Amino acid sequence: MSYQVKKTMASILSGAAVLAAYCIYAFGRYQAGILSPVDLKSWATTMLIFIGIGIAAAVVIQIVFHILFSISIAIKENVKNGKCDEQEIERTIKVEMIEDEMDKLIELKSMRIGFIFAGIGFVGSLVSLVLNYPPVVMINILFIAFSLGSLFEGFTQLYFYRRGVMNV
Amino acid sequence: MSRKFLISNNIRKLRFFADEMTQQQLAEKAGVSRQTIIAIEAGKYAPSLELAFRIAHAFGVKLEEVFDYEVREQK
Repeated sequence: MSYQVKKTMASILSGAAVLAAYCIYAFGRYQAGILSPVDLKSWATTMLIFIGIGIAAAVVIQIVFHILFSISIAIKENVKNGKCDEQEIERTIKVEMIEDEMDKLIELKSMRIGFIFAGIGFVGSLVSLVLNYPPVVMINILFIAFSLGSLFEGFTQLYFYRRGVMNV
Repeated sequence: MSRKFLISNNIRKLRFFADEMTQQQLAEKAGVSRQTIIAIEAGKYAPSLELAFRIAHAFGVKLEEVFDYEVREQK
């Protein structure tokens, strides 16, 4: 499994964890009657907090992942060669972490899938207003659609890494 | 009738004749990741012209010796 695949998996996990945490927290408070469906300010505040948590979690997970990946390479080199040559380890890490044209193509193609999903969510949120659902439903559909779009982007990346991608 | 364009390659054979060059070594010479070399070798990714030339240069051969282009008619 390559560095990019592992990085994508880490990103999917962090995104899924934040989305699950939002659903448990926000809908739990809604069911307990703490969050009112007409109090859009509280909903918006909750969403902003979770966006912040999501960004922080993504950064922390990427840093931790980077450190663990470097350690695993160092251990592998040590086992293979019986010694810990720092220059050799640094070279291997550099080669493994390189982002080339295939990675960029996969990123672009998967980003398109993510945007399509987010776009469908946006249309769905407008439809919910037309169907007389309260605005809180609209902003929740928007938030969840964008979060799921980001997750789908990750899954699409994994799919392209596994099945290959063509320049067409 | 539709046309299907196929790009095949001889990278595995060329690696063998280059003193069993590893995918990692080829990746380093071409400036890409090993994952990309694996995908190209398996025909799962068609490289850009620049990368194709870099791979050919890594083996010290002409582009046509590494990649082959074929058009197939399909019903």
